[in-house]
Amino acid sequence: MMRHLVLISIAAFVLSMLALFLVKHEVRGLERELAALELDRQRHVEAIRVLRSEWSYLTRPARIASLAARHLPLEQVQPAQVRWLPGQATGPSALVTPIGGELER
Amino acid sequence: MRDLAIRRWWRRDRSPLPPGETVAAASARLERARGRLLATGVLFLLCFGALIVRTLDVAVIGAPVGITGAGGVSALNPAARADIVDRNGVLLASNLPTHALYVEPGKIFDREDAIAALGRVFPDLDLERVASLIASDRKTALLRHNLTPEQAHAINRLGNPGLWLERQEQRFYPQGRLFAHVVGFTDVDNRGLAGVEKAVDAELRQRAEAQQGPLALSLDIRVQHVLAEALTETMTAHRALGAAGMVMDVETGELLALVSLPSFDPKGPDRSSAEQLFNRATLGTYELGSTFKPFTVAMALDRGIAGIEDSYDATQPIRVSRHLIRDHRPENRWLTVPEILIHSSNIAAARLAVEVGAERQKSFLDAFGMFDRIPFELSERGWPIVPRRWSEHTTMTVGFGHGLAVTPLHLIASYAALVNGGMAVTPTLLKQEPGAHLVQNRVISAETSAIMRMLLYTVVAEGTGKKAAVPGYLVGGKTGTAEKAIGGQYKRDSMITNFVGVFPIDRPRYAVLALMDEPKGTEETFGFATAGWTAAPVAGAVIERIAPLLGIPAAIERDESEEAPSIVWESAEGGRHASL
Repeated sequence: MMRHLVLISIAAFVLSMLALFLVKHEVRGLERELAALELDRQRHVEAIRVLRSEWSYLTRPARIASLAARHLPLEQVQPAQVRWLPGQATGPSALVTPIGGELER
Repeated sequence: MRDLAIRRWWRRDRSPLPPGETVAAASARLERARGRLLATGVLFLLCFGALIVRTLDVAVIGAPVGITGAGGVSALNPAARADIVDRNGVLLASNLPTHALYVEPGKIFDREDAIAALGRVFPDLDLERVASLIASDRKTALLRHNLTPEQAHAINRLGNPGLWLERQEQRFYPQGRLFAHVVGFTDVDNRGLAGVEKAVDAELRQRAEAQQGPLALSLDIRVQHVLAEALTETMTAHRALGAAGMVMDVETGELLALVSLPSFDPKGPDRSSAEQLFNRATLGTYELGSTFKPFTVAMALDRGIAGIEDSYDATQPIRVSRHLIRDHRPENRWLTVPEILIHSSNIAAARLAVEVGAERQKSFLDAFGMFDRIPFELSERGWPIVPRRWSEHTTMTVGFGHGLAVTPLHLIASYAALVNGGMAVTPTLLKQEPGAHLVQNRVISAETSAIMRMLLYTVVAEGTGKKAAVPGYLVGGKTGTAEKAIGGQYKRDSMITNFVGVFPIDRPRYAVLALMDEPKGTEETFGFATAGWTAAPVAGAVIERIAPLLGIPAAIERDESEEAPSIVWESAEGGRHASL
């Protein structure tokens, strides 16, 4: 009886060690994957940061104005040409969406 | 004793006991041996126990596999300084990752080769300096800041063990000169040195640490661009030394634009002159001239000293001690209160100021904050220059805007209070929540404010501010032309011209200030360089372009029930008056 108990517990011990070893390995693999993903995410965040700066640089009002003057046959809008829907004229309007803002969040 | 005998039997030990040893002595020896054995066993158990615990610790609990551990790649530090954006989220300042290049002379084997390679990567590098650095016995030396990604890549490809890169952050201002005076700049270690960067330095760092996202300013890049463009155009046309301009929300005190010209490149402030770095809008103090007259009128009306139909003698110049107070374009008659503003009469304004009295004048201007530095999100803030002795002559000159020098920021904030119903506003560069209630004190009554709006409207409709009129919009405002005091003398040909406009004047939302430093007359302005010709048109051009952007409908298409106020009517005597 005693001997059986000993044998069973030894077997259980060996099995659990084996399982532990396997789980441990799997966890290590997942952690490595997580780290790689995190690094990837940070690289993307950084790339977004650079791209946002570049976008902001390329859409400088002065640059847009000079490009528009060169390529578009448009003139400045006169106040009388602007029509507002009722309740539309409320004040400063947010026309610009920050690029990549969603991704960064 | 029996124990020993049994053991001997068990081990089939037939050897005789050592000679001369009794069974008892042998038994005692055995006891000692057993004691030692036990001690040794416990010791081994402890050692193996420790080993097992440590093995479990390493294998099961284990050190976390950090980013640094995976594949030998290093962690990227998050930005150490928050971005700055305008009120619509357009980027004004950001941190970009760059590299700094270091050289470790001890690890460079072929010096000639390394120097030649560096010369290929950086054609502008001072190779002699590099050679002396490499020949020196220093451990490491910084070769260069802010490498471009291509340069960093080229250095990595060299594979020289004596050259290594360190990650750095560089502040980048995509809008360049446009926001130079407001946003400011930082040093190489990313510490704020000027502008908002300096004033809210700590908050920018703390925001980055807490990952709270960018800092939103009250500025609007579209308005800023329009204002800068209009000011630059006029400044060039009139060959002015400098210019300044602001657009302010008269209810919240938020600045939508703040421009000071000439501007500078925030990337290289050390290459800019003091003249360029100087912020004329918030640091420069000027005697602003006639733009002060509305305050004189407001204090007289608000304190019940004069009525709107009272008249003041402007028939001839006033002589006070050795000074002569004259009008720029004399009417040589008695002027009503609205006419004082329409014709911008120094003489009548001085008489009105004397009637108000020095004490009331001082307390009134003090309530508007004209004697203090304005609390504001810029470190470049000027102290007003207040006369030490407030004589009757001072009362007169301050009545038409001389003798007291304030910053343009003081002026626009005070105009906001004048027209917004009489509440003092605190200017701010930080975006406020819609409907945010800032601490506000009443400085004039709502009725006086209403009268002031109409008076300012008549100045643009009838008086010196005609060039600020915009078809479709109701604009009010006042011009100011002041001779600059240079070396204690007023110079007739060096002028500060300025204009503050408010629109729509019947329900004020925004105030616009334009200021020119020493503009010269041109052919188009018939040689005139006064504010009506140099500052008012800037405000008009700005209002025409920004009003639709800011969602202000033109008056011509307003709801029929809200008719535009009829303000000016001809009085029996032929003078013009404002009605309520």
